This record gives sequence, structure tokens and C-alpha cells, in this order.
Amino acid sequence: MKTLFVGLLLAIGAMPVAAQQDVGARLAGRVPPEVATLVQQLAADAAARGLPVDPLVQKAIEGGAKGIPADRVASAVRGVAAQLTAAAAALRQGGLTPPDTDAIAAGAFALNAGLSGAQIAQLVRPGASAPGAAVTLRVAGTLTALGVPATETVALVSGTIEAGESPAELLTLPARVQAALAHGATPAQAAAGLARAAAARANAPGQNRPKNPHHP
Amino acid sequence: MSGREAATDGAVVRAVLAGDTERYAELVTRYRDRYARYAARMLGSADAAEDAVQDAFVRAYDQLAQCRDPDKFVGWFFLILRNRCFAERRRSRDVVPLEAAGSIVAAERPDGTMETAERRRALQLALLELTPEQREVFVLKHVEGLSYGEIAERLGTSVPSLKMRMHRAYDRLREQLRDPA
Amino acid sequence: MIEFHPLVKQLLDGELTLADLPPELRRQGEAALRLLAAVDREPVTLPPAVDARVMAAVRRRAAAPPPSFWRRLVEPREVRFRLRPWTLAPVLAAAAVLVLLLGRPAPQPSATPTTVRFVLFAPQAQQVAVAGTFNQWDPAVAPLVRTGAAGVWAVTLTLPAGQHQYAFIVDGARWVLDPAAPAVDDGFGSGRRNSVLAL
Repeated sequence: MKTLFVGLLLAIGAMPVAAQQDVGARLAGRVPPEVATLVQQLAADAAARGLPVDPLVQKAIEGGAKGIPADRVASAVRGVAAQLTAAAAALRQGGLTPPDTDAIAAGAFALNAGLSGAQIAQLVRPGASAPGAAVTLRVAGTLTALGVPATETVALVSGTIEAGESPAELLTLPARVQAALAHGATPAQAAAGLARAAAARANAPGQNRPKNPHHP
Repeated sequence: MSGREAATDGAVVRAVLAGDTERYAELVTRYRDRYARYAARMLGSADAAEDAVQDAFVRAYDQLAQCRDPDKFVGWFFLILRNRCFAERRRSRDVVPLEAAGSIVAAERPDGTMETAERRRALQLALLELTPEQREVFVLKHVEGLSYGEIAERLGTSVPSLKMRMHRAYDRLREQLRDPA
Repeated sequence: MIEFHPLVKQLLDGELTLADLPPELRRQGEAALRLLAAVDREPVTLPPAVDARVMAAVRRRAAAPPPSFWRRLVEPREVRFRLRPWTLAPVLAAAAVLVLLLGRPAPQPSATPTTVRFVLFAPQAQQVAVAGTFNQWDPAVAPLVRTGAAGVWAVTLTLPAGQHQYAFIVDGARWVLDPAAPAVDDGFGSGRRNSVLAL
């Protein structure tokens, strides 16, 4: 089983190289040539620095599909590259070394949604396992995109993790917030309510707390 | 007979943005046919061109607030139409261009010889086999009659890179059109 | 591939005349000019119906009320059905148990793809599609279909775990956010946004 696990890790590590060769193929016909050239340069640089390449390619394809002028697509792709760099730095600060590409991509999404680098570092600190970090940051970014203020987002997500909820349950947080919104709560109120419920579960005396899968 | 002078594009755009939606029709009437031929040669049929021009006008309305220079509406509109033509080609890459052939034949003048009609159709089909960038430079120069300098200005690229694209297009067209014999 | 001679390309570009070509290139030059003669330069005029159709679409956009107002008043609850992750809980629980038996903690919530139903209330639309990171932003591959309820379009897709951004495209031209989803800046300026979905 351990050999299988290690083999899987090696396979995942090798993928970025193959993905890079695909960049040109994925962009052909979808973006103007000058944008394709820029994206390939940024992708090569990103791969060399351990950053994910896919978000760059996705943004360029998105721009092409939406009919955005080339100069705006170029600046959007550069923006993604900057967010990936900042996210990787924030994750290292949070104790994730080296940060895996899924977590970096999720961190960049969270930055784009409005969380700060410091808040991202704060979110991953309690859980040093990389797959957990990606889910944590996706959920945090989505909550912020729903309108939950950044500080409330960090409180809710951290509190939910501390209460022992699994990553699968974390993913249901945005829907639970939306359900509260439908009943007339503001995003901040909805988040605060859910955070209180999580804290109550965490502190309930005598209960068997489920093993927190974020702590390795 | 109205004594009012035709308003500039910039004035009409500003009026529409200020809320006078109906005036957008002036821009549509003014430019409906301006790039119709370009779209038809890029997409292979007048029907496809009609859809593309229509979509481009609607998209231009949606994004009218993003038109940086309202007095240069037509150049901005051209880029929207251009993107639409490029996107359309991507979508229909797997579609056999029988529609293109049929439309070209239907558009032939009755005084043209059969041979001319065949050659026109063959060239249009060959054009559809080029990349959109190659087809575009060929259409802008040899259908629309622009100079390399004018095309470079419109597309924001350089004359040497356009020539490279065009010369590649010439070779690919020759390859497509030479007799099997 | 047989290429045109560079001088013949200059002929095609209009920088030389046939007389300027050396005799051995004359035939190739004539063939090149025949190619150009086959170019269709006939002007294309579009029917005036185009004006009417464009203005009809423009008037609809000018008249439509803001989506959030619309949603509260008009959209029936059952329309916004989205297969929520917690309804998959029994499946996930089974997966978690299986992994525990193999002696490792569950690495991530669901490596198995999730079924998501995209729904849009768009009674005036002629066609609706969804495009996003899960389908290369290609408006052609995931069209929605009209459901039994009037004005309601829907499609069910199977998406992998991860972070997805998407938008609806109405009538092939208008990019519309999912009113039921969170939204983020799409990076192209002017306040444009995408809808997001975390699986």
C-alpha cells in the first residue's frame, strides 16, 4: 500500500512537465498568437517555480472564448501569475512546505475572491496536510465570494475545522450559508451563526470528538 | 426630408449610453453591411455572416460602456465581429462545409461561366481550410483591398508578421487547389 | 509542399507585375494570378431584418429588471435545485470507510466526480449554454435545454473535484452570471465576474 501511495505521488509530480507540453496545443486556435506566446512563457516560468500551470491556460482560454481584446487577456493572465506567486508565499508562511499545486491554485482563487495573504496563511496553519489546504482555501474563497466578510470567513472555516468536520463537510459550508441567506440573514450573520454552532459542537463536554483529518 | 445632419458615431454612442436605446438602430443601419463581406468570406456563407454581424451588434450593445473611444465605434465593433468570426470557426471545425459550398453557388451571378463559379467555390473552400489568422489577412488584403499597413494598424500587429502569415496562406492555398493530375 | 517562389509571392502581394518575373517563373505567376482572379469580391448586403432582430434584443436588455430582484419575485424555489454535496454523504461515508480500512486517513473529500445541475430562468432566450473551466469555456459543448417549467433551462453535468468558474451564455452572445451562485472578478476588467462552484 505504501509503495502504491509513493508511486501515485511520483506520477502526480511528473504531470506538470507533460501539462506544459500541452499548453501550446490547448491554446491553438483559441487565443491570438501573441497571447499564446506570453502564456507559454509564463507557464514555463511557473512550472520551474513549482506553481500550477493550468490556471494560466484556463484564464487565456476564457479570455479567448469571451472575445476579450488581446491586451486585456495578457494582463489578466499576468494577474493570475502574480496571484499564484503570492499564494505560494502565503502557504509557505502558513507552514506548508513545499506547497502543492492544488493548494497554490486554491490560494490564488482565495486571493482573487478577496482574502489577504495573511488570512490564507492563517487558514492553513492549523491543518498542515496539503489536500486539506486546497479544500479549505476553495471553501474560504467561495464564502468570501458569497459576501461573507473576510474575517468572518476565516473564523467560520477555522472553527469548522477545529470542530472536527471533514473536508467533505467543509465543502457544504457555502450551501449552508446560502440556505441561511434565503431565510433573510446577511452573509455575516449566516457565517456567525454557523461558526457558533461549530464552536458549540467543539466544546460539547463528554462527546467523542471525531478525529480531525486535517491534523496528520 | 429631415434637415438634421447625420450625427457622428461618438454622439450616437453617448446618447445610447445616456439611455436613448432606440438610437442604437442608427449605428446598426450605418454599419450593418460594412463588414458583411469580410464575415462572409471568413465564415464561408452569407447566412453565417448574417448571424455573426447580428451577434456582434448585440454584444457591442452589451459592452458599449467599455468602448474606450466612442468616435471610433466602428473599429471597436470590427474587433468584436472579428472575435465572433474566430470563435465561430472554432465551433464548427467538425462541420463539413457543404453549407458553404451551397451558399456560394446560390450567390453566383447568372452571367458567370460554370468554370468561374467552380473556381470561386473551390477557393472559398480552400480558404476555410486555412487558420483564421491566415484567412483573415488574405480576406482583408485581397477581398477588402486593404494595404499591409492598413491591416497592421487595424489588427495591432506588424507588417512583416502579416506578410509571413500571408505567404504561408498562399502556399497552403496552392496546395489545396492544385490539380490532382 | 510545393511553395510559390518568393518573387511570385511578391507578385501576389502586388509589389511586382507579371512582366517583372523572369521567364522561367512566368507560368507560376500566371497560375498565381488565376488564383487571385477566383477571389469573390462581390459586396454582401444583409437583409434589413438584421436591424429589427438586433433592436429587439437590445430592447429586451434595456427592459429586463435586475436579476436579484427578478429572482426573489419570480423564480420558484424548486427551480434552484442543485445536487448538494451532503446528499452524496452516504456515498462519501462509504468511501471514507473503505479508505480507513486500507490504513490511511481520507486524503480528500471526493475524488469521485459530482453531479451538478445548472439551472437558469430565462424565458426570453432562444438558446442557453454554460461555459467554464470544466469545458474549456467553449459555449458549444454544454447547451441547456428547456425543461417542463416555462422559461426554465437546465442541464446536468458531471464535474471533477476542484474549483470551477463558469457563466451562462444566452443567445450565443450575452454572458450571464448564475444568480444562485457566488461570483468573483474574472480579471478582464470593467467589473466582469464569473460564477464559482467548489467541489
